[in-house]
Amino acid sequence: MSAHDLKEMRPGAHDLKEMRLLGLSRGLIMAGLLGGIATASGIALTTTSGWLIVRADQRPQIMLLLTTIVAVRTFGLARPLFRYWERLRSHDVALGDLAERRTRTYAALVPLTPARLGSRGRADLLTGVVDDLTDVVEASVRVTVPAIAALLAGITSAALTALVDPRVGLVIAGMLAATAVVAAFADRLESHAQTEVLAARAEVARIAQLSADHADELRSIGGTATATGWLTTAHDTLHATVTRQARGRSISAAAVLIITGVGALVSAALAATSGASTPVMALLVLAPVATGETLGVLTDATRAHARARACQQRLDELLDQELAVAHGVAGGIPPSASPGVHCPRAMQGLDHAPRLELRGLTAGWLPGRTDLGPLDLAVDPGARIALVGPNGSGKSTALAVLARHLDPSGGSYTIDGTDVTDRDLTDVRALFAIVDDEPHVLAATLRANLALAAPEADDEGLVDSLRRAGLGTWFAGLPHGLDSRLGSGGLGISGGERARLSIARAIASGRPVILLDEPVAHLDHPTAEAVITDLLQHAGDRSVIMVTHHGVGLDRMDRIVTIEKEGASHRAHQSIAG
Amino acid sequence: MRPFDPRILRVVPATRRPVAALAGIGVAQGIATIGTAFALAVLVVSVVRGQDLVAPMVWTGGLFAVRALLGAASEAIAARAGTVVATHLREQLIAAWSQRTIHQRPFEAPSSHLRTPPSRDRALTLATQGTSAVEPYVAKYLPALVSAAVVPPLAIACLLVVDWPSALVVILTVPLLPLFAALIGATTQEDTERRWDSLRDLSGHFLDVMRGLPTLVSYGRAERQVEVIGEVSQRHRRATMRTLRLAFMSAAALELLATISVAIVAVVVGLRLTTGSMDLLIGLTAILLAPEAYWPIRRVGTEFHSAADGAAALDEILADLDPHSPMAMQEDAHSPMAMQEDVHSPMAMQENVHSPMAMQGAKGGAPFGLPGTVSLAGVDYSYPGTERTVLAGVDLVAGRGLTVITGPSGCGKTTLLEVIAGIRRPDRGEVSAPEVHLVTQRPFLGAGTLRANLTIAGPAESTDVWQALREVGLHEAIATLPLGVDSPLGDDGFGLSAGQRARLVLARALLSPSPVVLLDEPTAHVDPESAATIGDTITRLAATRTVIAVSHQPDLAARANHHVRLGQQAVTR
Repeated sequence: MSAHDLKEMRPGAHDLKEMRLLGLSRGLIMAGLLGGIATASGIALTTTSGWLIVRADQRPQIMLLLTTIVAVRTFGLARPLFRYWERLRSHDVALGDLAERRTRTYAALVPLTPARLGSRGRADLLTGVVDDLTDVVEASVRVTVPAIAALLAGITSAALTALVDPRVGLVIAGMLAATAVVAAFADRLESHAQTEVLAARAEVARIAQLSADHADELRSIGGTATATGWLTTAHDTLHATVTRQARGRSISAAAVLIITGVGALVSAALAATSGASTPVMALLVLAPVATGETLGVLTDATRAHARARACQQRLDELLDQELAVAHGVAGGIPPSASPGVHCPRAMQGLDHAPRLELRGLTAGWLPGRTDLGPLDLAVDPGARIALVGPNGSGKSTALAVLARHLDPSGGSYTIDGTDVTDRDLTDVRALFAIVDDEPHVLAATLRANLALAAPEADDEGLVDSLRRAGLGTWFAGLPHGLDSRLGSGGLGISGGERARLSIARAIASGRPVILLDEPVAHLDHPTAEAVITDLLQHAGDRSVIMVTHHGVGLDRMDRIVTIEKEGASHRAHQSIAG
Repeated sequence: MRPFDPRILRVVPATRRPVAALAGIGVAQGIATIGTAFALAVLVVSVVRGQDLVAPMVWTGGLFAVRALLGAASEAIAARAGTVVATHLREQLIAAWSQRTIHQRPFEAPSSHLRTPPSRDRALTLATQGTSAVEPYVAKYLPALVSAAVVPPLAIACLLVVDWPSALVVILTVPLLPLFAALIGATTQEDTERRWDSLRDLSGHFLDVMRGLPTLVSYGRAERQVEVIGEVSQRHRRATMRTLRLAFMSAAALELLATISVAIVAVVVGLRLTTGSMDLLIGLTAILLAPEAYWPIRRVGTEFHSAADGAAALDEILADLDPHSPMAMQEDAHSPMAMQEDVHSPMAMQENVHSPMAMQGAKGGAPFGLPGTVSLAGVDYSYPGTERTVLAGVDLVAGRGLTVITGPSGCGKTTLLEVIAGIRRPDRGEVSAPEVHLVTQRPFLGAGTLRANLTIAGPAESTDVWQALREVGLHEAIATLPLGVDSPLGDDGFGLSAGQRARLVLARALLSPSPVVLLDEPTAHVDPESAATIGDTITRLAATRTVIAVSHQPDLAARANHHVRLGQQAVTR
């Protein structure tokens, strides 16, 4: 698949706009309707019961009460029945919506991966996307449906009460209007604070992660107390923002009760002077109370709405980014503009390591920014090169450009003498196997985990790659061999084994260039050394380019290239490892 | 699972107050709600009988106002209690975590096929999302639990006083609710459990392929997942709906049961009213009170649904924090057992074997020698879960001055420093060291200012900070920065070269109050100029403190007061 196809595949802004927050679908309206019937039945149950009791007190013939008794029973049955039906409908609609949003979001993320996901912590960002989608969809169950239901039931209650006494009907309508105003106000308070709460939560998560991740390093420099101080500060901020956010909820919880109380008192005063029959009077006093009780759900809805809105905003920001790789930049030839020019397909199935050359290359993660370069780098077939340099000097950027996950913004990048932009994107990407610091183990069999890199390989080949990655002993101890399940729900796997599995994938893929981006950053020193040693021993005639700033394995490389941060003097210093 | 785990109050005492506040406000709300039922009954009766409305209106209005206040307070207190409990759990979890030696961390052990220890990821998740999931458990589920425990008994007690026949009906029917719930649960349990695994797999699938997206993209396998996601999501939808249908049906059954029970009360009241054997006020009060005995119980079920994640996380967190839990016992079993096995060994100071933590606490409390002396006697160490001995019978005494340890790669030099620092607990032998400052090969540099990173071990005056920077030759470079020592560093030290980073962490060691400084390859991968500066600084540092450095560089060994060669296996005695 070429970059062009990728771009075609990407859902356009139009498609994404369709996935708005709280969109009304027929299914949701239907669920709201069912919920409205359930809620109205509840109101009717209370009011007719009141009527019945007062009527009974007048000691009529039992026969005269039968109609109302049947009505009360009907309402009593209707409420759970319709509630059940509503919950089934609304959840089914929401799950259908979730399925669709998941598919679309995933498809939209594929061309943005990895360059637009940030350079570190991608797995956490992607986990955040999963949670955000769930929260957005939850809003339809927890906001849209209850709101429609409460509105419908409230209007029904106001209208029916108005038939008996228009003044009390008006009181109930007034209660609805007042509740709507309060809900809007509370929603605004809640949403305003939501951004702060999210920021405070993110900071807490960052510090908690840092303290747990670097527990030993912090302890060894006597920094544990300081780190605890950071956590306490972050927690204090969280307390403050959460307390502020709860104000919206507090106001709406209190306001709904006050509105109900006022409604009940006004109705009682009106009912006393209505001149209606005594059972009807009881009905008129109880109707606003029963209606008010159903409006309480709005407090919860406010909370869900504010959260869903923030989540939707975050998703939009992520998905609205420009693609990091376009076809035909920097003098390349877009296939559509010149149909006569054929993308060279000769590279398919390339089994030797190509010669890679970067000349005066610059690149940036965001448009208009330069994170790397200009950089000159030549990688001969089979070379072992380490890229070192200060953080932020562009080491990872260089790897992303090499792997064709990021377009260069200037200079040239050639493979075996041909400019990369003249080559098919998929073919170029197929040259590189990437091992990064967050290798993912899919919840699947060991075979599937390896085969994703080498669909055509047979079992023997896969086992061989495991051995070469230093996992021979580990594999021998597996209960079900290649059929052993890994990942969540499967076998536990240590950090070192995870890194080695990622390397086994790279070896199994047969791709002629292996790019390592801080592959052992999370491993302890001896494990890191062992992993790198095994990799370099078994890389064969592949080229290996490794980014590191921890010095592990540097003495085993042919060449160490230091990338400096300074702008003009951005030439790489090269040295031979001693 | 228990509805409320009282361990939380014992293990994390700071949670007692917020939980008590929640319970208190729940009780107050329950009383106010029941009071409202009385006031409403009086109001209705006054209206229909054309009596004076002032008193019942004041009561009703007043009670609604009180409930409004309580409602507002309860939202605020619940939100606050949620975060207070969650943050205390997190703080305690991380504190416990940083106290543990590598041995005691269940997930640092290499994976075994028989028993899968909680992974490192899992532990991190507990400290972040896990503790956050406890918030809704505390903020929403606990209040529901309190009202279920308080309101129904209170309503029944009031009914008993007002009208005992109605109370009898309620007393006979309320227990049916939990009974019914248990029956439904028991008959559907097998079915639910059978579905649970497949449901978990289905719901985990999307998260899995999302987290794997970078890997899938780099091997060109991502596009084909789009279709799979759509298909699995639909299967997930169907499976979830099957499970939900059961849950909703049992909720509906319980609601129906409650409605029928209230209806029975109503029928009895109605009959007695028509026969004139009951007063309207009493009848109406009974009708309005009866539902209060049922709905709080149903609400617990609903809220538990949303708090289940939190309850599960809480279970795991408490298991980790609770010293009496089986899991914690198992962890502790490692080292002390190993030490006890050692009773026959001819070790002189057997009873003085402390845990490294205890030793670190005792500043300068070396059992022999001068303050600031590090001593090791007969230390054996092997990595957890492996047979290979990294250190065997290591003896070492180091006082003020520079001790340089050299030896071939993999001989355990780094491990030795970690044993001295108390990060690793030896299998055998004795370690005595005051508080140490260990500069590892990957020293911690956080995303704060330069100053914050330099003073992480304790506060220091600006002049001292600049003095330390001058000693390591960084003051000029930093003085030219617009913000000076208040310039921010990125994660892991933004924009610092290897040499600058090495000098910066050495400046931090200078600023630390520790009498012992341990350096792991302080001059590895730095430019020659930096190496020379670092060497000079180490020499000056060694004039006042105990400095133990591990190094390959001959230059550093030449500066040493003592030179220790660590063999392939261990130091020779």
